[in-house]
Amino acid sequence: MRINTLQKPTWNALKINDAVVEESVILNGSGRSVVEKIPAGVIIGNESCKDCGGCDLKDAVDIRSIRCGMGEEADSFFARSSADVLMVHARKDRQVAEPVNIRYLMENGDSNADRVEILAEEGSAITVIMDYSSTKKDAKGFFGVQTKVRVSKNARVHLVKVNLLGLSYLCLDDIGVTVEDGGSFDLTQMCLGGGRNYIGVAADLAGYKASFNGDMGYLCLGKQELDMNYHIAHHGRKTGSELQVKGALRDEARKNFRGTIDLIHGARGASGNELEDVLLLSEGVVNKTLPVILCDEEDVEGTHGASIGRLSSDILFYMQSRGLSKQEAELLMTKAKLNYVRNLIKDEHTHGRIQYYMEEAFR
Amino acid sequence: MDRERSEVNDIDRSLYDFRYEEKEGEFYRVKEGLTPDIVTEISKEKHDPDWMLDFRLKSLQIYNDLKVPDWGPDISGLNMDDIVTYVRHKTGMQATWEDVPEDIKNTFERLGIPEAERTSLAGVGAQYDSELVYHNVREEVLEQGVIYTDMESALTGEYADMVREHFMKLVPPTDHKFAALHGAVWSGGSFVYVPPGVKVDIPLQSYFRLNAAGAGQFEHTLIIVSEDADLHFIEGCSAPKYNVANLHAGCVELFVGKNARLRYSTIENWSKNMYNLNTKRAICEEGATMEWVSGSFGSHVSYLYPMTILKGNDSHCEFTGITFAGAGQNLDTGAKIVHTGERTSSFINTKSISKSGGESTFRSALTIKEKAKDAKASVSCASLMLDDISRSDTIPAMDIRTNEADVGHEAKIGRISDDAVFYLMSRGISEEDAKAMIVSGFADNVSKELPLEYAVEMNNLIQLEMKGAIG
Repeated sequence: MRINTLQKPTWNALKINDAVVEESVILNGSGRSVVEKIPAGVIIGNESCKDCGGCDLKDAVDIRSIRCGMGEEADSFFARSSADVLMVHARKDRQVAEPVNIRYLMENGDSNADRVEILAEEGSAITVIMDYSSTKKDAKGFFGVQTKVRVSKNARVHLVKVNLLGLSYLCLDDIGVTVEDGGSFDLTQMCLGGGRNYIGVAADLAGYKASFNGDMGYLCLGKQELDMNYHIAHHGRKTGSELQVKGALRDEARKNFRGTIDLIHGARGASGNELEDVLLLSEGVVNKTLPVILCDEEDVEGTHGASIGRLSSDILFYMQSRGLSKQEAELLMTKAKLNYVRNLIKDEHTHGRIQYYMEEAFR
Repeated sequence: MDRERSEVNDIDRSLYDFRYEEKEGEFYRVKEGLTPDIVTEISKEKHDPDWMLDFRLKSLQIYNDLKVPDWGPDISGLNMDDIVTYVRHKTGMQATWEDVPEDIKNTFERLGIPEAERTSLAGVGAQYDSELVYHNVREEVLEQGVIYTDMESALTGEYADMVREHFMKLVPPTDHKFAALHGAVWSGGSFVYVPPGVKVDIPLQSYFRLNAAGAGQFEHTLIIVSEDADLHFIEGCSAPKYNVANLHAGCVELFVGKNARLRYSTIENWSKNMYNLNTKRAICEEGATMEWVSGSFGSHVSYLYPMTILKGNDSHCEFTGITFAGAGQNLDTGAKIVHTGERTSSFINTKSISKSGGESTFRSALTIKEKAKDAKASVSCASLMLDDISRSDTIPAMDIRTNEADVGHEAKIGRISDDAVFYLMSRGISEEDAKAMIVSGFADNVSKELPLEYAVEMNNLIQLEMKGAIG
């Protein structure tokens, strides 16, 4: 299966135009998912939307057509592999303070693919935390989830994704979102677990002043691999996007980052910015970065920046002058990067689980 | 008061877009297309040594086996069956301008080449279609031991072994389809050898003019700058516009020795029917410095990414480039840098301007290999959109394979700032002058790196045309 394909490719020899995942995973449907909290104003439904009193089927169909970051082959994989869809609806004008927690417990040998659809109706606000974890650190298996989100007019969705899977897990995390007039979509991701992780994010800023704000934190140790593809399409006027990706690679870890800001004709006044900050901690790491800006409109602004490498000599000197060793300084800075993203998650329980996982990882 | 609309015109190519009709029997040309017979005919016509004929035929085989790139601008309008790969004036190369055929001499005089030679160059090579028609180098430069000659002479003369040792070793025919094409049908170009410790104070220049309709130009430039030597080489190119596709698939190979320095400057102004599929590559030994200065203004489609391999420890590369894409142009330009030596450093700084439906793409690849400890690299690209029917993309890839490296990257796309125009207008500058000034300043990174005469030419390409067009 070919996924995370760049819209505008570059030299094939760089091996970054896409990623290939073998589709030979045997889905046994095992693994446990739990919706832990259902706050007032939120409806949890299934694919047929029968239990959903807050919207009609038309809305569900609209969500189904949303394009995701991994592309068409992943789309058909999830359609084939996942029998049902978990639907989360925030009703019109309801400002839901408590997050909806969807937890997936994936143990050794589990293999499952799931689909989630989130609809925030006009004027609503909702936070959804999706947390994938394994009890054993070396658990092996497959977990895939496709998440489609529709942010209606003046609605706000904060989607949190936390990957704490076992280190021999293959994980596909495919996300698609469309944002209407005045809507905003915040995406906070922490990828700490899993052996081979693939993340695809496609955001369509369709409406006037629609916005996307993404923060991604990752830590890749040992032989962990992470492959990311972000595509943020600015269709609407005065749309805005910010994407920050921060992380560290150690041992023989490998990471690919593709980030595309697509300023489409007609998106006058749009602004897109992306920033990547990578700390390289070992000789054997491989880091590939491809921040792309596609610009088909004059009255726009697009920027990207990247900082890749070791800890800067200034910071290292400062820390060593205060008694820290090089390793301690690197650990501190790695935690600082990840904590920046972790602190955007306003849920104490999730905080604690991330903290515990990080302490274990650095032990 | 009505606010006047200001705009920046495309680059005026009338200076370059003139031609003299070929007279019957003046030129030798092969048939259109690409076959073993045609390749053999070119080789025979050029009096190639045997190994070169073998090399050409193997390259042709590789060309036939390789696919057209699937990641860049569309080149489906280029049909090799319609391209004449070798066109040569029958008089051959001359050592004085007086002996060059009248029409060809007039062409180069209109382009200012003889005058530049007299005033500011250490040597000149002038290529017309497939072969050089004039080559000369100053006596004092010859006395330093500098070799500057046409590739055909170099291939069979005193430096034949050196040429064979280096020819298409940096850019092998297997590199990509159009490198293979070059290997099969190359002709013309220059060979430069600068001995150890020799510093050539004023630049050498080669100028490539493609006059024939439906023809290709495949010149090969091979430069060897020895240890502690220093050279500035300038390359210029232009062509008149035709209604049929022309092709440029040249190849530049640069070998920069220990602690040597080479600056390679290009002002490219091909006509808008040209497919510019050129390959340039340099390799730097210990402590060497490679500097690229590149201005891309012409051609219908360009694939142009000069590559530098920083092989030696402490070697350094700077790439400074500007691309101006106007109506009917799709210019895909950028640079590639590979760090393999320790403490190597590189800096890419590019600007691009898109106008009147033109498409510009900045594409780069920065690779830092495992052994490149303490490497430092920076990539900076900025793009200016001058209207809402044009397009500008940036695709900078970075592949980092050591933790002991520092890599920075920044890019920006936008239009002329209203604030900057307002600021200048508030100081009494008209809107048209303000915008012209801003665009000119935007291109400053390249013009300030060129010798004065060439900076003036480049500014003529941009600024003078803008002046009359705004308002």
